[in-house]
Amino acid sequence: MRPPYRMRPGRLVGKAVLAFACFMAVFPLLWTALNSLKNNVDIITRVPRLVFTPTLANISYIIGRDSVMTGLYNSVIACGVAVLIGVVLGLPAAYAVARYPNRWAGDIQFFVLSLRFLPPVAVAIPLMVIWLQLGLYDTLAALIVTYSLLTISVIMWLAIPAFQSVPKEVEEAAFVDGYGAYSVFWRIALPVAARSLIGAVAFSFVLVWNEFLIALMLSSSNAKTLPIVASELSQQGMNVPWGILNASVVLLSLPPLLFLGVLSGFLNSVFRQKKT
Amino acid sequence: MPRRSSLPVTFIVPTLVILLILSMVPTLYAIVIALQNRELSSTAYSYVWLSNFYDLFFDRRFLNAVWVSVKWEVVTVVATMAVAIGLGVLMFEVASPRLRNIYCLLFIVPVLLPRVSAAFVWKFAYHPLYGIATYPYRLLTGGLIFDPLSKPATALFAVASVDVWQWGLFFAVIVLKLLETLPPQPIEAARLDHARHWQIHAYVTLPMLKAPLISLMFVKMIESLRSFDLIYVMTRGGPGVATETLDMYAFSQGFIESGKVSYASAMAVLMMIATVITFTMLWKRVQA
Repeated sequence: MRPPYRMRPGRLVGKAVLAFACFMAVFPLLWTALNSLKNNVDIITRVPRLVFTPTLANISYIIGRDSVMTGLYNSVIACGVAVLIGVVLGLPAAYAVARYPNRWAGDIQFFVLSLRFLPPVAVAIPLMVIWLQLGLYDTLAALIVTYSLLTISVIMWLAIPAFQSVPKEVEEAAFVDGYGAYSVFWRIALPVAARSLIGAVAFSFVLVWNEFLIALMLSSSNAKTLPIVASELSQQGMNVPWGILNASVVLLSLPPLLFLGVLSGFLNSVFRQKKT
Repeated sequence: MPRRSSLPVTFIVPTLVILLILSMVPTLYAIVIALQNRELSSTAYSYVWLSNFYDLFFDRRFLNAVWVSVKWEVVTVVATMAVAIGLGVLMFEVASPRLRNIYCLLFIVPVLLPRVSAAFVWKFAYHPLYGIATYPYRLLTGGLIFDPLSKPATALFAVASVDVWQWGLFFAVIVLKLLETLPPQPIEAARLDHARHWQIHAYVTLPMLKAPLISLMFVKMIESLRSFDLIYVMTRGGPGVATETLDMYAFSQGFIESGKVSYASAMAVLMMIATVITFTMLWKRVQA
C-alpha cells in the first residue's frame, strides 16, 4: 500500500500539466473536426470562432468527389489484402519461431526487425523502376505486394511474443490428448493468443493505412490511396475552401481511430504479460 | 512439443522466402540503379559506377540534407523521450487508476493518426493569420504575425513538434505501464528514507527501467527516419532547404525537380547503409 498523499502545490501543478497534455492530445483534432463543419468565412477569422452555423457542405462535397471515393476504395483494398497476406504468412511463421526453437530463431527475429530499418525511399525507388518494367506501375497489385513486406514483418514481429505467452502446459496437454502439431496451432494456440494477435493485426493495418511515401511513388493516377488524394487537395493553393480540407483530414483519420480500443487493450495485455 | 513435425518447415520457409525476395530484390536493385545514370525522362542508360556517389560528396544540398536529418533525428528523439518520461512519471505520481486509463486512451490518439492528417492539422494550426496555435501569440501581442513554418530558424522545430506530439504522448503511456510493472518495495524503501518524489524516480525507478527505456529510444530512432510525410505536407523541405531531410531531397531529385532516379537512388543507398550498420550495431548492444 502506498502512504496517503498530502495535498501539496506540486501535485496540483502536476495535475494541471496532465490536464493540459490531454487537451493538447485531442484538441487539435477536435478543432479540425469542428472546422470541417464550418463555412469558409467562419474558418478564416483572426479570432477563432466557436459559435457558428454548421454546414454539411464540406462533408458532402468530399463524399461526392470521385477522386476521394477512388482513394478510399484503393486504400481499403490495398491495406485489406496486404493485411490478409500478412496474417496468412506471418502468424504461422511467428508461431513456428515461438514454439519450435532452433538455432536460427534469433537471426530470423532480427531479420524481420531489420526490415524496419530500410529507408522507405530506398525501397520505393527501385520498386518503381521494377513495376514500370513489369507494366504493373500504378496498379493496386504492385501496392499490395509492396505493403505485404510491411504487414508480414510487423505481424510476425508482434505475434512471436504473443504466441510465447500462451502457457506451454495447455499445448502440451493437447498433444497428450492426441492432437497433431497443426491442430494444436489451429485449435489451441490461435484462439488462446487471439486477443494479442488481433492487436498485432490492427497495428499492421494502421501502419499501412497511414503509409504515404511508397504510395506516393508507386501511383500516378489509378492506384492513389486516400492519404495521397488528401495531400493533393491541399496543393491546390489557398483558394481551396479550407473546410473541405478539414473534412478530408477527418475522413482519412477515422479508420485508424476505430482501432483505438483494440490497440489500447493490446498495449495493456503486452505489459500485463511482462508483470507476471 | 513433438520432436518430429513438418510444422516448423512448412510454416517458416515460405514466409521467409517471400520476405527475402520482397526485401532483397529492391535492396539489390537500388544499388544497381545507383551505379547507373537513369533518368525519368529517357529509357536509355549506362553504367557510371561510383560517379553518383562521388558527385554527392560535392553536392552542398546533399550535405545540408545530411545535417538536417541528423538535427531532426536528435531533436525528435530527445524531445520525445523527455516528454514521455515527464508525463509518464507525472501520471504515475498524481493520477488515480481511473484517470490513468482515460489519459492512456487519449494519449494514443495522436499516434494513430496518419502522418498526413497530423501534418494537416498542425499546418492549419500554425497558420500565421487564422491558426489556432498562433492565436495566443496574436492575442498577447495585439495582432503581430508569427509564422513558424516559413522561418528557417523555427521551421524544423515546428515540424518536429508534430512528431513529438504523436510519439511523445504515446510513449508516455508506455513509460507509465513500465513504471506500473516495477515491484513496489524499492519505492517504499526510498519513501521511508524520506526521498523526494523526483529523487525516487531519478535514482530508483528510472535506473531500474534503463533497458526497456533504451529499447524504446531505439524504436523512436527508427521511426524518426520516417519524417517524409510530415515534411512533405508541412514545408516541402522549405523555407529554402531548412527542413530538407535526406528522403525529402532524394524524392525531389528523383521525381520533382530533375528526375535523376539514379542520383536519388545513390542517396537512398547511402542512407540505407548508414542506418542498417548503425541500427544493427545498436541492436546488438541493446541485446547484450
